Amino acid sequence: MPNIHDAMWEKLNLDLEAHAGLLEVLGKFYGDIYMSQQGRLKGMEYLDFVLSEVHGLRIKELQDAKASGKKVVGTFCVFVPEEIVLAAGGIQVGLCAGAEIGKGEAEKVLPRNTCALIKSFVGFKLAKLCPFIESCDLIVGETTCDGKKKAYEIFSEYSPVYVMEIPQMKNASDRQLWKSELLRFKSQVEETTGNKITADSLKDAIHLLNNRRRVLQRLNRLRAADPGPISGRDALLINQISFYDDPVRFTTKIGELCDELDERVKSGTGIAPEGTTRLMLSGCPMAVPNWKLPYVIESSGAIIVGEESCIGTRNTRDLVDEGGRTLDDMLDSIVDRYMRIDCACFTPNTERLDNIVNMALDLNVKGVIHYGLSFCQPYAMEAFKVEKALTGAGIPMLSIETDYSMEDVEQLKTRVEAFIEMTR
Amino acid sequence: MKSRSKDQTVAGIDIGSRSIELVVLNADGILRQLKTPTTFDPLGQCRRLMGELEGGRVIATGYGRKLFAESFGQMDVSTITEIQAYALGARFLHPEARTVLDIGGQDTKVISLSETGKVFKFEMNDRCAAGTGKFLEFMATALQVPLESFGEYALRSDRRIAISSMCTVFAESEATSLMARGERPENIAMGLHMAIVQRTIAMLRRVGVSAPVVFAGGVAHNPCVVRLLEEQLGQPVIVPGNPDMVGALGAAICGKNGF
Amino acid sequence: MKPDCFEKFQNAGERFLLEVSELQDNGKKVAGIYCLFAPVEIVRAAGAIPVSLCGKKEKPIPDAEKTLPPNLCPLIKSSYGYAVSDTCPFFSASDFLIGETTCDGKKKMYEFLGRIKPLHLMHLPYSAAEPHALEFWCEQIHRLGSFVEESTGQRIDRDHLRFQIRIHNRIRKLVRRISLFQRAQRVPISGLDIMTVMETKSCFVNPERYISLLVEFIAEMEAIAVDGFSPFETNAPRVLLTGCPIGKGSDKVLSMIEESGGAVVCMENCTGVKGLDLLVDEEEKDPFLALARRYLQIPCSCITPNTGRLTLLNRLINEYRVDAVVDLTLQCCHTYNIESRIIGDCVEKIHGLPFLHVETDYSNSDVEQLRTRIEAFLEIARWSAPAHAGNGKPPARIQFSS
Repeated sequence: MPNIHDAMWEKLNLDLEAHAGLLEVLGKFYGDIYMSQQGRLKGMEYLDFVLSEVHGLRIKELQDAKASGKKVVGTFCVFVPEEIVLAAGGIQVGLCAGAEIGKGEAEKVLPRNTCALIKSFVGFKLAKLCPFIESCDLIVGETTCDGKKKAYEIFSEYSPVYVMEIPQMKNASDRQLWKSELLRFKSQVEETTGNKITADSLKDAIHLLNNRRRVLQRLNRLRAADPGPISGRDALLINQISFYDDPVRFTTKIGELCDELDERVKSGTGIAPEGTTRLMLSGCPMAVPNWKLPYVIESSGAIIVGEESCIGTRNTRDLVDEGGRTLDDMLDSIVDRYMRIDCACFTPNTERLDNIVNMALDLNVKGVIHYGLSFCQPYAMEAFKVEKALTGAGIPMLSIETDYSMEDVEQLKTRVEAFIEMTR
Repeated sequence: MKSRSKDQTVAGIDIGSRSIELVVLNADGILRQLKTPTTFDPLGQCRRLMGELEGGRVIATGYGRKLFAESFGQMDVSTITEIQAYALGARFLHPEARTVLDIGGQDTKVISLSETGKVFKFEMNDRCAAGTGKFLEFMATALQVPLESFGEYALRSDRRIAISSMCTVFAESEATSLMARGERPENIAMGLHMAIVQRTIAMLRRVGVSAPVVFAGGVAHNPCVVRLLEEQLGQPVIVPGNPDMVGALGAAICGKNGF
Repeated sequence: MKPDCFEKFQNAGERFLLEVSELQDNGKKVAGIYCLFAPVEIVRAAGAIPVSLCGKKEKPIPDAEKTLPPNLCPLIKSSYGYAVSDTCPFFSASDFLIGETTCDGKKKMYEFLGRIKPLHLMHLPYSAAEPHALEFWCEQIHRLGSFVEESTGQRIDRDHLRFQIRIHNRIRKLVRRISLFQRAQRVPISGLDIMTVMETKSCFVNPERYISLLVEFIAEMEAIAVDGFSPFETNAPRVLLTGCPIGKGSDKVLSMIEESGGAVVCMENCTGVKGLDLLVDEEEKDPFLALARRYLQIPCSCITPNTGRLTLLNRLINEYRVDAVVDLTLQCCHTYNIESRIIGDCVEKIHGLPFLHVETDYSNSDVEQLRTRIEAFLEIARWSAPAHAGNGKPPARIQFSS
């Protein structure tokens, strides 16, 4: 079926037929997982719309912005400081992918035992399915994990990638390394956009992105109510969309949605009955449309009340200090904020354990499901330690390792249901 | 839970990938236990198995539990997972049990029980069928030995050779190449049993083994697996009289007592 | 026909343990290391003895899997398994450990290892080209220095450090020279034996005595080479083995290549010649900076982009007149596995040589399949070797759906 955006997609050199197939599958999947929910918030209509137009109107917006001289920067990781891009008048978009569709293409150039997230973004590029990648003026990678670090070498045979080095420890010299990487990134972004970053523009960017984090923090506080006023799936979707949408519009819209949530919480209205098992997710990020596990969990009689992941609290927990006056002060504040990220790429990363236990206690969950993508070694290794920390605090944990395919859904159901039974 | 009259029966049905088991309980204990292959028509098989059973509460477990609950809507059906079912069943038969191992048709489960009998940790094999009952079935066929006597056959080995591949497909090619080198098939069978036990031990270690260990599921009928497990664990393993009925029994008990 | 002193290399481990236990009674410390990036000159200058602890056998892996996830390379699992089950005498002998952030698996494994013995972790930058890299790495070497000084109670004297630099440069040159015997038309010694010799470069107590042993070996080898002896058939394909480190116990693929009629003439890996041509600048005023510069150039797959490995391979392929390249990577070693495609492209497109990527672990589960692949590969290598070229060259890359 022809689409009104076909001409634009064709210009972006997408494989129109395969892309149409992707949209169809995605639409059906979304219908099954999202539209089938009862008692959703009215504010979710905005997200339904954004998602339905994520490859359409949003790309058109980007193209229009490009036509007016703006530059688009694509990233794969919450370490890449969006403040810099925004301050230089650029637009940042997330390029992580959560679909299996390009796997065959990706496996031609990557080993099969590479994590699904990496195979997915390489696959999207190779199969010509991602209008975001094709809209980028600069693609930024980072050295968070072995798989990504080396996959960028392969990816850059198709699109050049600028790679940032992420420190692995948190000593003074590591902070210095990160600072020098931030400055290098700043020059690169200034070169790409042709705009100099000033104290004023950076101040505005910091404020704007802090506001986006604040609204997501508010969402997290509100959804913690019992009975849960919003499904974990919907909350995850909001977090996912925050990587694609215009930050100002997104913040306003989610603010409105939070007002609606506030009403619900006050009136004690829940999306699931009181006493539904409250669970928390922790671990690897879930990029659109990777809703498999949340769906399995929430169709097994539980509700997800928090995500400890990059598409969750790891991205929204910490704000950049807004007290800085000079450009250099502000850059330092950015360095400090990003150094607080508790990604498993750090060693020994004990703060993540504290953060998880505190979050689980605050949210009063019955258990935590640790989600690891197959072959993601940093998170797989930490799962063992997370389990120890949680069990020590009297909170049971289930460790799930899976990928984007659907073949293990039945088995996942059994494990998740058994876990829910166990926590009763 | 609603109170029930004394003579009311409770049924547990375990719809697995290979077989379906039914256990019916009344106030005095086990009234009936039946088993049938799953075939390609699991619902038909369930219907035949349920037969004259009228009314009463049914608890379904196993892969087909949801399908069963949907299709037998006219009855009072609820579902639990195999993890709970096996834990409950094993604990009922052996109240002292602290670890339950179930090797079924396509799943291996290791369940760790607290002192009070609650499940506090479990592991399942990943999506592949390596190291499950299916693996043994496949290998027995490859060696042209009936599955029922595959364990005894392996116990007739005179030498232990390592088969390191856990993958059903690769293990077969490994077995074939051993055969080509003139290895006795009994020894190959033993190697295959050792491979399955090695994998199981690794899972047991992950959960942590507390004694006593109850070994349930269809593969518990296999004397070679039992012997090797005991050797590796350095302790005896309890095999219930009807190891494949434990899941259905646990489901029925759940219906009777709740968790 | 092997040099008489070959035996001394074969039992280097046992001799190390014997000698070291005596020295430890007198207060000497042993530093367990896991990687070529650990600057041994620093360790020696602080009076400690470095020894490699990389696990190369399958046996301790089940012990490791109680804690570590299954999707991890066997080297890491084996290393940790040895440590946690206390079944490696070298680990037992180590007073402290030095780790580095070369890969995710090791980096996170050290978190567990650090619970068993004092461990110092070096943070390795991922690109030597970045402006901060050298300074950062130099700082890491200073940090290591302080740690070793504290552990041994012996200050690092700069002159002593320079002395150690000279000694270790000498060792690198000698080991490299040994590897050069394999350049000959008639390859005088098997790749397996050369591996046995080269593996000892991370397992000796006294550097001076080790140097004499290397010199002795070279002298004997020269005599053998003059004789024109070779353990290989005259038409044996000359194979360059690259990829992950191997050693006694994890020599499965190397042995299989040679059993199938190939001659492994060069090993471009951490056990082999990787880094041997990189010498520390003896003239540089600041020995720490000189060390930092040298170590940062090691062409490990953890570096991105790892162009140094391609440069080295290009040189070695010509130097050893290689007929075929086998890239041996360990299962779940993401960096080497992903890099394999880049290596393969270089070997096939630039050199027009057959290339085989083998991903395996320490188990024997795949030996039959591997043997078939390697034999088929060597057939191709024979057909396409210069002597046979021209008569219907078969396609170079074999596609196996393993």
